[in-house]
Formats: sequence, C-alpha cells, structure tokens
Amino acid sequence: MARRLSKIPHGVAFPSDQKFLAAVDRYVEQELKKAGFGKDVIADVAISVSEFVNNAILHGNRQDESKLVRLELYHAPGQVTICVEDEGEGFEPDKVASPLEGENLLKEVGRGIFIAKMLVDSVEFSRGEKGGTRVKLFKKLPV
Amino acid sequence: MKFSVREQDGVTILAPKGKIMGGPDSTELQEKLRDLIKGNTKRVIIDLAEVDWMNSTGLGIMIAGLTTMRTAAGELKLSRVTDKIQSLLVITKLVTVFESYDSVDEAIKSFTK
Repeated sequence: MARRLSKIPHGVAFPSDQKFLAAVDRYVEQELKKAGFGKDVIADVAISVSEFVNNAILHGNRQDESKLVRLELYHAPGQVTICVEDEGEGFEPDKVASPLEGENLLKEVGRGIFIAKMLVDSVEFSRGEKGGTRVKLFKKLPV
Repeated sequence: MKFSVREQDGVTILAPKGKIMGGPDSTELQEKLRDLIKGNTKRVIIDLAEVDWMNSTGLGIMIAGLTTMRTAAGELKLSRVTDKIQSLLVITKLVTVFESYDSVDEAIKSFTK
C-alpha cells in the first residue's frame, strides 16, 4: 500500500492520515489555478473539499491507513466538479444536526458539512464502489 | 500554516499564517492555545491578517480557545479578520460569538475598557 499521495485518473488517492491534508489542498489549489479560477472561488472549493476529505479520513475510514481516500477533479469552462470517496461504511447526511441551533453553536465540531454546502452550488451524497461515502461537489463561476 | 506568538501590553497575540485546515499544523496551534490557558494567560488575541482561509477545524480551534478562556475568566478576541473568514463567521453565526477588531491595537485597547 502506497504511503503517499498517488496520482489516479483525474485526481489523487492517499491513505487515511490527516498529514496528507496539506498536500491535497495544494493539489486542488494548483489544479484550479491552472484551470483559471480566481482566488475567491478557489478558496470556496478548497474549504469545501477539505471538509469532506477530513470527514473521509476521520469518520469514513476512521483513520485506518490501509483504506484510501480518492479525490477526482473535473473542470470545464466556468465550472468544477470534485468527488471525494472513502472506503468506510457510509453515513446518513440528513442526520447531521444543524450547527446553528442552541448549544451546537459553541461546539468545536459539527459545522463542516454545513460550511461546505454553503460555499459550493451543490453537494450530492451517494455510495462509492466499495460501499463508502462518495461526495460530489459542484461549483460554478460567478457570472 | 505557521504561527508566531508575542506579548504587548499584557495581551498575548497569536498570529497564524497560511491556512488552518486541519492536520498536524492545526494541532500545534490548538496545543499552543491550550498551553497559554494552562499558563494562566487571560487575554489573547488571534490576529488573522495573514490567514488565507480556514475550514471548520480552524473555527473549532478558535471556539475551543474562546470557551476554555471564558471558563478560566479570560477572554479571546480576534483582530484583522479577512473577508473570507468573516464570511465563514457570518454563515456559521459565530460572528455573534467572537469580538473582533480592525486592528491589533484596537483589540488590545478593548481589554482595558
């Protein structure tokens, strides 16, 4: 099992260790820069992707380094789609509590999916090939 | 992400630089905040001028610092919040929780009011 960030078609794959977060972030930023996206859009997408990559490592694969996280990035003029997939057991996104309500507001965790959804145009959850969670993010350039 | 720590007029100023996105760097920042609180530091400013952006991990670190500091009768404030982070504070309603100032000096002065 490769202990590093590996290239896959349209993206990268890496073991479930948070030490890869910075490299994944650099990859996403570089790819979006090459595609001509501006700093603000890059920030929105990078933040959203980081939330789902973090979730894939921590909650999906439970930091089991034998399990990979896969990230695919597709761009066309004016839009980008990114998929993040783990090898976990899947989860039910509808059961995530609102981070804005009551005592949740001051919790250290629990606002990642909320933030990610606010920063991109759409987020879709499905089951991946290995039964884990596959998240598809879509962002259009502002007109 | 790196960070520097300095003291001015009895206030500790923690200045991260780069992105706060989780991982080992973020853990170091969190541990530094914890050390300050354990060391009986009561007045802390996180100066965000050189933070490009952060995700929920970064917000969580700041929230943890704020709540722990308040429990210890201290206070944590923000200065020079960048537009991107300000928008995150607004959408998460954390703008209602943190005191923030346009400059480090203003933030320092606010502790003596």
